[in-house]
Amino acid sequence: MDKAATVTDTLIRETLGAGRRTLTEPETKTILRAYAIPVPRFEAVKDRETATVASASFSYPLALKVISRELTHKSEAGGVVLGIQNAKDIEDGLFEIMLNVADDAPQAIIEGFLIEEMAPRGVEVIVGALRDPVFGPAVMFGTGGLAVEILKDVTFALSPIDREDAFEMMNEVKGFGLLTGARGGGFKDLDAIADVIMKVSRIMEENVHIMELEINPLIVYRKGVLAVDARATLSVAV
Amino acid sequence: MGNGVDLSFFFKPESIAIIGATEASGKISGIIMDSLASSGFQGRIYPVNPKYSSVKGYQCYPSIGAIGKVIDVAIVALPAAAVLAALEEAAHVRGAIVIGGGFSEAGQAGDALERELKSLAAKTGMRIIGPNCMGIYDTVSRLDTFFIPSERIKRPGPGHLSVLSQSGSFAVTAMDELASESTGIARVISYGNSSDVNESDFLEFLADDEHTSAVAIYLEAVEDGQRFIKAAARCAAKKPVMALKAGRGGAGGRATLSHTASIAGHYEIYRAAFKKAGVIELDGYEEFIAACKVFGARRARPSCGARVMIITDGGGVGVALADECARYGLEPVPLKKEVEDGLRSMLPRYFAVGNPLDLTGSATDEWFASSLEKTMTGDDYDVAIIAALWGPPGLTDALATGVAARAGESGKPVIICSPGGEYTRDKSRLFTGAGLPVFSTPESAVRAASILAKNAMLGEKRERKLTRKQAHNG
Repeated sequence: MDKAATVTDTLIRETLGAGRRTLTEPETKTILRAYAIPVPRFEAVKDRETATVASASFSYPLALKVISRELTHKSEAGGVVLGIQNAKDIEDGLFEIMLNVADDAPQAIIEGFLIEEMAPRGVEVIVGALRDPVFGPAVMFGTGGLAVEILKDVTFALSPIDREDAFEMMNEVKGFGLLTGARGGGFKDLDAIADVIMKVSRIMEENVHIMELEINPLIVYRKGVLAVDARATLSVAV
Repeated sequence: MGNGVDLSFFFKPESIAIIGATEASGKISGIIMDSLASSGFQGRIYPVNPKYSSVKGYQCYPSIGAIGKVIDVAIVALPAAAVLAALEEAAHVRGAIVIGGGFSEAGQAGDALERELKSLAAKTGMRIIGPNCMGIYDTVSRLDTFFIPSERIKRPGPGHLSVLSQSGSFAVTAMDELASESTGIARVISYGNSSDVNESDFLEFLADDEHTSAVAIYLEAVEDGQRFIKAAARCAAKKPVMALKAGRGGAGGRATLSHTASIAGHYEIYRAAFKKAGVIELDGYEEFIAACKVFGARRARPSCGARVMIITDGGGVGVALADECARYGLEPVPLKKEVEDGLRSMLPRYFAVGNPLDLTGSATDEWFASSLEKTMTGDDYDVAIIAALWGPPGLTDALATGVAARAGESGKPVIICSPGGEYTRDKSRLFTGAGLPVFSTPESAVRAASILAKNAMLGEKRERKLTRKQAHNG
């Protein structure tokens, strides 16, 4: 087992051992990072002190997000604060999140907070995967990022996926033009997207306990990509 | 199960037993025996039924065991509850086709029966097609277990297309429609509940079947996805394989925490599976029939790409065809100068020569045939669509054979678009008779051309992958 697989395997075992079936955002991002999928610099923290310590090595602006397995849609529950510029903002942000979540989802257990560098603007895409009971791992690529469920501009391919398959997937969605300079956006890093698609496929192949994995949005730049939000679910039975 | 096992005995049986054979008219077994007699099946036929000493002139046996010889295929036309008992003593039967329903499609009791049937197959090594199926219609071996009389469902003549169908009624309807379009068939297999032999087994057989040059599949569900992809990919590497997946609803009871899972229905995953295997995805019944016609016509040819030449005597239909081409990503590319000159030398000076080529109301049989030859000889076009409207007095019944002959010389696919009423429909038989696929609307003709183009694209992709793999291994 290589290092990426070991990191992932340990994380999965710990989560399943604790009787949990969902990986939090920092846990999922730890897996992505292990597989060399670019993620913003982040750290999971407990409170204001640990957040402030962590922030010392980050460049502002930062994002604060609640960590809770009960919250599938963090931002809808007010669990995300963006544009943190200083230590004071961190403190305010943590309060705001706690109040919002207490209000919106009082049953949710807050496990901690994610503090991370904010990703610059770019084109938002989604790379997801699921394990189909008949055909095995299937990877989805789509445009629209957060609007994906409305637009459904997506395509699927079964693992294993090579570079040509990944490029074919990009070609198949209507929003492909957004990545190749339509509306003056300039040509985006398609190779970096292909890397992520292939790596997500590999993660699914190498880790049979992962049932769903989703990067949404993956922000695409002229050079490089960043997995800004991510989640995964596990299955006990394999 | 069944991996790599030779199923060819189902397709060249020398002996057939019909379990549950009867003299009574209108019964399944009677229809099958009549079909075997009229199709000219050459093997031995053994009716089995303890109630008779002979059926339809054949000696009848009280049980399958009593025949005392190896039987290639036993056709079981019995109610579900009686099937297992009848097959228990069938140690010398290589394969059975269990026609009747009342198994897993019919609730718990049927489910248990089917499991028993499955374990019988595993225990004895006998291969079972069905239950709940029509079985095999085969123009090569002349086996015909489709128990609907031929005056109701026409049987297609010999051809090189094979059809695999999970649904019996779908297979029957498609067969009937193809027969009336003069599309020939090699084998039609309706495999029903696939308790033992399934679509992947048949794909493995059809991949190596020299009588089959294209395969069309109607699928509802696959059980072993990886095996299906492997078998379909192997078959598709040798001949076009196209598939219609029916039953598109349902998210498959997945946990749906992610957007991915909530968007992914069964259909998206099947579509991805077809893509992986290099199978042409067919979108509905119409496209299934269109694909069967365009790959199954006697003069069917594979296409190399998306460049379409349109030849017509009706300007409007020509434009409609060009519009449809744009919709399906096909390219009616302009004529090359020398081709245009060649056409001009044949046609009146005032003609607007282009693509679409409008031969107008002055069109003759020879103009159509020569235009086809002049445009399709070089490497300018991959496929021709001929839309002959029957108004012009210069067109005669010889048009179809003339076009078919030139089509044959070009070695490229030629699709006939023949919109119109009674007279036209009547004349379109001339084209089907000449071995060309005929479509009644511009939409369906272009769709057929797009299926050919898709096949070419998949072929190129397969080549590229193979080359890369070889480079990698080398």
